[in-house]
Amino acid sequence: MNRQNRIWRTALLAAPLAVFGLFVVWPLMSSFYYSFTNWNGFNPNYDFVGFANFGKIVTDRLFLNATINTAIWMVAAIVLPTALGLGLALLLDRKLPGARFFKSVFYLPICLSAVIVGQIWIWIYQPDWGLLNTVLRHVTGAEHNWAWLARPNTALWSVIVAWSWQQTGLSMVIYLAGLTGIPGDLLEVCEIEGASPWQRLRRVVLPLLTPSTVVVVALSVINSLKGFDILYIMTGGGPFNSSDTLAMHMYNESFAKFRMGYGSAISVVLFLIAMVVIGLYFRQLRKVDRIYG
Amino acid sequence: MAELTLDRLRKSFGSQEVIKGLDLTIADGEFVVFVGPSGCGKSTTLRMIAGLEDVTSGAVRLAGQDVTRTRPAGRGIAMVFQSYALFPHLSVADNIGFGLSLQRLPRAEIAARVRAVAETLQLGPLLERFPRELSGGQRQRVAIGRSIIRDPRVFLFDEPLSNLDAALRVQMRLEIARLHRRLRATMIYVTHDQVEAMTLADRIVVFNEGRIEQVGSPMALYERPANRFVAGFIGAPAMNFLAPGCALLAGLAVPAGAREAGIRPEHLALVAPGDGAGGSVELIERLGPETFAHLRLPDLPDTVTLRLPGDSGVEPGTAVALRALPDRVQWFDAAGRALAATRG
Repeated sequence: MNRQNRIWRTALLAAPLAVFGLFVVWPLMSSFYYSFTNWNGFNPNYDFVGFANFGKIVTDRLFLNATINTAIWMVAAIVLPTALGLGLALLLDRKLPGARFFKSVFYLPICLSAVIVGQIWIWIYQPDWGLLNTVLRHVTGAEHNWAWLARPNTALWSVIVAWSWQQTGLSMVIYLAGLTGIPGDLLEVCEIEGASPWQRLRRVVLPLLTPSTVVVVALSVINSLKGFDILYIMTGGGPFNSSDTLAMHMYNESFAKFRMGYGSAISVVLFLIAMVVIGLYFRQLRKVDRIYG
Repeated sequence: MAELTLDRLRKSFGSQEVIKGLDLTIADGEFVVFVGPSGCGKSTTLRMIAGLEDVTSGAVRLAGQDVTRTRPAGRGIAMVFQSYALFPHLSVADNIGFGLSLQRLPRAEIAARVRAVAETLQLGPLLERFPRELSGGQRQRVAIGRSIIRDPRVFLFDEPLSNLDAALRVQMRLEIARLHRRLRATMIYVTHDQVEAMTLADRIVVFNEGRIEQVGSPMALYERPANRFVAGFIGAPAMNFLAPGCALLAGLAVPAGAREAGIRPEHLALVAPGDGAGGSVELIERLGPETFAHLRLPDLPDTVTLRLPGDSGVEPGTAVALRALPDRVQWFDAAGRALAATRG
């Protein structure tokens, strides 16, 4: 490599690295730093409090609540779009009339921003004239004005449904691509060997969709960890913190209650959780790589 | 094991008829090879026998039983694909035992049968590996293992060696020949490779445009082709086709109705200048034990191929004279049908 090439490579690499450093590494390091302080976000004078913020986390009832909600949110946000996307892909992969139209329809929500999706579902869940209660009223004949987003026992799940509605199209498209990639010979072997449709699905199609599942789950994990906006729009973590996730809790502590130090400590814990999840994911990925290459 | 009969078998895709009425009986234990150019219908016929392709009309009979509408699994056939069609997520052992595990046989029985098959195919040490950790030849052996473990009535091979390199192809060809000798099973083998067809087959079926051109033993097809198509298709290099009036055929008695003559490269001989048709060597192909010389003759539009010994010193540009062995010339009428053999 000659000198000019080396300069060019360094220069071209430096630009994205600088952006990455400024917007990812620096805030991350800052969070670690501020998690050991009692900074309120404005005052230049603050004290180092050691592990006090982390100690407070252990006794914070709202943190425990947010952790449980985050676990529910993550599991549901991975399982529901994955399962629904797979089901739709298997249905639409058959040469059904109108399949192409439905593929587009089911994919459409992913093109919308979380703010628009959140607003659409706020209308759907509206107690008096929302679509859901209206349909329930007509179907059951009884009066239905359930405040889906204002009741603690339905708020989180209502947002999960909205989230799944948006994300399912993406999973479906990835699974459809995966189904197209399954060699016809392998399905013909199933026919010759006498596999029932269920055996074929369970023992051949689903395992062969593993590379697609890896992508779908990776995207679901990443999206669910980032899934703050739709919760913020639809419930803001309420009512009574019933849909409060760690990301939402961190936001409220940092920017609503101006406890930046404590909020940073929560963000550090969230970061560590994400690292564990991603670590487990990469371990699985190595196994998949051995088989599928 | 079973006799297989195709009875006026036809297949159309939309308005396009691709199989135009096949009649064929394959005896129990026979090794039959389907050959023909691309798109001639040999693979489609194999898939109809397997039940992977619907039959438009006609019947497929196995051991006297009509299986035309029977699902593939109910026919008792096994198929080996060109792509091997191994399940990438299953180990060699699980691939071989796939069909048995679908039948929910006891695990111990499956394991014992898989081990037995693996030993016969030298796959014993590879049972825990995944397909992508195997070579092409090993993969094809696994595919063969999966087909023999169920003890099928008929084996179908769809160009099974096409993806292998030349050396492995020779080795696997011998293994398939050994397998047939050991199992004495009915086997149908599709290939476009002449050597595979000639070396493996009890009988060869030559396909062309959805029809059977000729059925016979390899040497019968080679020596007594029924028509110009078979004569040109069987044999490599191909038979030389000559117009009856050319210098190379001078002095030969032309049968009534003959429009064209055919002579194989090994049935032409170099002679002293003036004793035969004169020409020049255009190209030489040295294969080791033999050499093929492509000669340009003044009164023929195409070159004529001649087989010479491997140590022949003939070089391109050399002027030569050659003669056809008279009793080896085959004659064809205007429709391309072979006329009665001129040799005894």
